[in-house]
Amino acid sequence: MKTVIKTSNLEKVYNGSVAPVRAVNNVNLEFQEGEFTAIVGPSGSGKTTFLNLIGGLDKPTGGQVIIDGTDIASLKESQLFDFRLKHIGFVFQSYNLIPVLTAKENVSFIMLLQKQSKDAMEKRAKEMLEQVGLSDKLNSRPNQLSGGQQQRVAVARALASKPKFVLADEPTANLDTESAFNLLDIMSRLNKEENITLIFSTHDQRVIERASRVITLVDGEVSKDEMFDR
Amino acid sequence: MLLKISWRNIWRNPKRSITMVLSIAAGLWGGVFAASIAMGLLNQRFQTGVEQELSHVQMHNPQFLIETNINHHVEDWLQIKEQLNHDQRVKAFTGRTIVNGMIATANLTRGVNILGIDPATEASTTGLDQNTIDGEFFGESTQNPILIGNSLAEKMKARLGTRVVLTFQDTNNELVSISCRVSGIFQTANSMYDEMNIYMLQHDLTEHLGVEGIVNQVALVLHELDQAGDFAAEYGDMFPELTVRTWAEISPQMAFYNQMGMTMFMIILAIILMALAFGLLNTMLMAVFERTRELGMLMCIGMNKKRIFLMIMFETIFLTVTGSLAGTALAVVSVNLFTERGINMAPVGGDSLQNFGFDPVIYPVIDNSFFAMLAILVILTAVLTAIYPALKALRLRPAEAVRTQ
Repeated sequence: MKTVIKTSNLEKVYNGSVAPVRAVNNVNLEFQEGEFTAIVGPSGSGKTTFLNLIGGLDKPTGGQVIIDGTDIASLKESQLFDFRLKHIGFVFQSYNLIPVLTAKENVSFIMLLQKQSKDAMEKRAKEMLEQVGLSDKLNSRPNQLSGGQQQRVAVARALASKPKFVLADEPTANLDTESAFNLLDIMSRLNKEENITLIFSTHDQRVIERASRVITLVDGEVSKDEMFDR
Repeated sequence: MLLKISWRNIWRNPKRSITMVLSIAAGLWGGVFAASIAMGLLNQRFQTGVEQELSHVQMHNPQFLIETNINHHVEDWLQIKEQLNHDQRVKAFTGRTIVNGMIATANLTRGVNILGIDPATEASTTGLDQNTIDGEFFGESTQNPILIGNSLAEKMKARLGTRVVLTFQDTNNELVSISCRVSGIFQTANSMYDEMNIYMLQHDLTEHLGVEGIVNQVALVLHELDQAGDFAAEYGDMFPELTVRTWAEISPQMAFYNQMGMTMFMIILAIILMALAFGLLNTMLMAVFERTRELGMLMCIGMNKKRIFLMIMFETIFLTVTGSLAGTALAVVSVNLFTERGINMAPVGGDSLQNFGFDPVIYPVIDNSFFAMLAILVILTAVLTAIYPALKALRLRPAEAVRTQ
C-alpha cells in the first residue's frame, strides 16, 4: 500500500502564559492509501492540532509532515494554499457551506479555485451530489437543507477536487443519529469503493466503530494505534 | 463565480445593504444637487457679470481708468473698429461714451454712470434689449430717450414716460443739463448695476457733450471665451496707447467666484466621500466579522489571499456602485427637472440675492465632467475603504477562524 502521509518527530509547542504547552509531542505516524482512520482522545489531547498540522493549516515547531514526498512544513504560506487546494479535502463540524451558493455551486466552487473547465465542474458536482444522495437538491441553498444534508454537501465538496486524503474534524458532532449513520454509510462506501483515505478526529463512538484504524492521542502523544478489519 | 458570490454576499443582510445603498444614494443625490445649485448660481453670476456687464475684453484710454473724464477717450476708435470688424474671433463689439453725472426727478437726485450707446451693437454685445422689461429699447418716438434700471426707477419713483434731468460735464468742463424721458426699464440679476447705470443714445449724449464720435470704452465678446487672454495681449501690443483687459483683469472677484465654485465643489465632494468611506468601512467590517468562520473555511480549502481580497473588494464596489447609480439617477432627474423650471428663491427671501448680483431664480446645472469625476472618485474611495476590511480578512488564521462560533 502507498503511504499518503508520514509524520516524523512531529511537534507543536505553544507558548503558554505559565509554561510552554506541548500540544503534539514526537508523533511518528504513517497513513496508507485507502485507510479510514479515527483520531480519538480526550479534550485537549491534541487531536485538532494534529489535524491542523497534517492539513497544512498550522506549522509544526519541530519534525516533518511528508505528503506525496513534500515536507509541507517547509512550504510558504502561499504554497500551502495551493497545496491544500490540490491535495486535501476538508469536512468541518459546522458544515461551513457558502450560504449564498446552491449545493451544486458549493461543490463546484473548489473546482473553480482549481481552474477546471465549466463543463468538468458541472459534471463532477452532479456526480458527487448523486454519490451522497442529493441529486434532487442540486439547486437548494444551505438554508433549505437539513444539517445532515448540508454535511453531505460538505463531503461532496471535499471529494470533488479528488484530494489525496480527506480530513474531517468531528463531522458527526452536530448531527442526529439517523443523519450521522447516513453520513458514515456514505463515507464508508466511498472509502471502500473509491479507495479514498479518510482521517477523522472524533469523540463519536459511531465513527470509531466504522474506522479501520483508531489512533488514541493523550497529552499530544500516541498512546494507542489499533487496526481493525472492517 | 467570484463576482456572483460577491454580489450575493452583499444581499445576505438585505436591511443593512439597503440602508447602505440608500445612504450612498441620498448622500450623492444631496451632494450633487447642492453642487448643481452652487454651480447654477455661479454660472448665472458669470452670465450676468461677464456676458451682460463686463463683456470678454474691454479697451480704454489708460487715463480714463484713473479719472472718468470724457476727454480721456479711445483715440484710434475708427481704426480699432475696422480691425475688430475683420477679426474672425470677435462675435460682437460696441463702443460706449461714458460720463459720470446726476439723474434727477421731482423726488430724488442720484449719481449715475451715463452710458451713451449704439442700440444695435450694444444689443448684440450685451443683450441689453433682452433685459428691457418695460417700455421699448430705444424707440424713435421720444426725444432724448433713456433706459434706466428697475431698482433705480423704484427709488426715483420713475415710470415709463417720466421726465428726468441728467446733468454732466461736457468736453469743456461746462455743466450741461438735459431733459430726457424714460422710454424703457431694464433689469439684470445685479440690482447694484441696475441702480448705478443708465443708458441713452450715443449721438444724443455726444451732441450735448459738444463732440461727435467720442468713445471711452470698447467692449467685445469673442466666440471663445478662452481666447480672451491671448486676444487682449495681442491687441495690447497692437495698440500700445490703450489698456486692453480681459474680464478676469477687470473684475478679479468674478474670477475668484469661479475658483470658489470649484473649491466649493471639492469641499462638497470631500464631505460626500468621507461619509461614504465611513459608512462603507462600518458595513464591510461588520460583514468580515460576521463571516469569520466562512472566510476561515475558504482559506482552509485553498482559496488564496488574492481571491479573498478580491472578493471583499468586489463586494464593496458592488455596494458602492449600486448606491451611486441610484444617487446619480436621482440627481440627474432632479437637476434636469429644475434646470428647466428653475428654483425660485424669492418667496423665502431669495430676492436679496440680487443685491449681490445673483438671480433669485436659480437654475441648477451640472457638468458631465463632474459626474465622470464623481464616478471615478466614488470608486476610488470604495477601493481604498475596502482595503482595511480586506486586510482584516487576510489576517485571519484559517484553523482558528473556521472554529469561530
